[in-house]
Amino acid sequence: MIIAERKPLKEILEMISGVEKLLILGCRGCVAVCSAGGDKEVAILASALRLGRKKAGKPIEIHEDTYIRQCDPEYLEPLKEEGKKYDAVLSMACGVGVNFIAECCPGVRVMPALNTSFYGANLSSGEWAEMCAGCGACILHLTGGLCPVARCAKHLSNGPCGGSVGGRCEVDPSVPCIWQKIYERLTSLKQDQLLRKIMPMRDWRPAGHGGPRHRIREDLLP
Amino acid sequence: MDSNLQTGKIVAFCCNYTATVAPETLREAGLIPANLEFRKLPCTGRIEVPALLDAFEGGAEAVFVAGCHENECHNLSGSRRAGKRVKYTKEILEELDIDPSRVEMFFVNRAETEPIIEAVREMTRRISKLGRLHAI
Repeated sequence: MIIAERKPLKEILEMISGVEKLLILGCRGCVAVCSAGGDKEVAILASALRLGRKKAGKPIEIHEDTYIRQCDPEYLEPLKEEGKKYDAVLSMACGVGVNFIAECCPGVRVMPALNTSFYGANLSSGEWAEMCAGCGACILHLTGGLCPVARCAKHLSNGPCGGSVGGRCEVDPSVPCIWQKIYERLTSLKQDQLLRKIMPMRDWRPAGHGGPRHRIREDLLP
Repeated sequence: MDSNLQTGKIVAFCCNYTATVAPETLREAGLIPANLEFRKLPCTGRIEVPALLDAFEGGAEAVFVAGCHENECHNLSGSRRAGKRVKYTKEILEELDIDPSRVEMFFVNRAETEPIIEAVREMTRRISKLGRLHAI
């Protein structure tokens, strides 16, 4: 899922300076699952901003709502008119939601409450780690299911850099060397012959280096 | 309780098991000050961060939660959860340049009044030292 985290309160307070009537809009998609922008987080942010503004002597009227998703047009439909009742809408969705509100709701001023971080897995309650870079050219069948694009600090495609110590990454020793893990996993699966396959130079265009990505499936179009 | 220490509203969230004596009785006995607002919960695990922040927005100078000792919670992990929420509230207060010691979690003996009274005294001491919380 998409992992995000709340921006520092001071940054948000600066963003909404001058706003007197604000809608904080959560999303029940990924950001709710990673406890960044669901109903609970909307309530916490609303309370914190009310307190912050009251302390600054500039009380603010804040309304709270959470949509099922902010990345599908049907869920944003009510916001087209509702959003105009506020000086601004503070979205607690990922950047996709903020962009989509800006695209779909003309006349609505939208701002981000979160920093969208990465595609990650939930390691335990309160801990997430990046597992996919969304590079658009998956090679996981060659690496035992472990992604060197997302999980190698140098995005290497053909084995480790040689700098790891004790199986830990030289860039950040709190992270395992993913190539070490790929080697161990392929060996245990008796698939280590895959390591002999030299991957060609990566085409980064599907990763977004060729401009914003767009996908169409003719069979699903209305 | 020394009225000189009454420097503003204190909101206390207590569970059924830590606060067994009615606050009116404690107040009439002069054991807790008039500025203490008592909010009873079935379990402190019920407390949410917005309730703690809203107490400040509602005029509290200090807020505390009194729950059972971590290994004695009637609902097993209620007071532990409350402790984590108080910790997160402290982080939010810090972000807002509000002294985080204005909110506290106390793990107290069940069915004893003295620890609650001591918690009130402690929070009163803190806000006496910190002064008023701006315009709130």
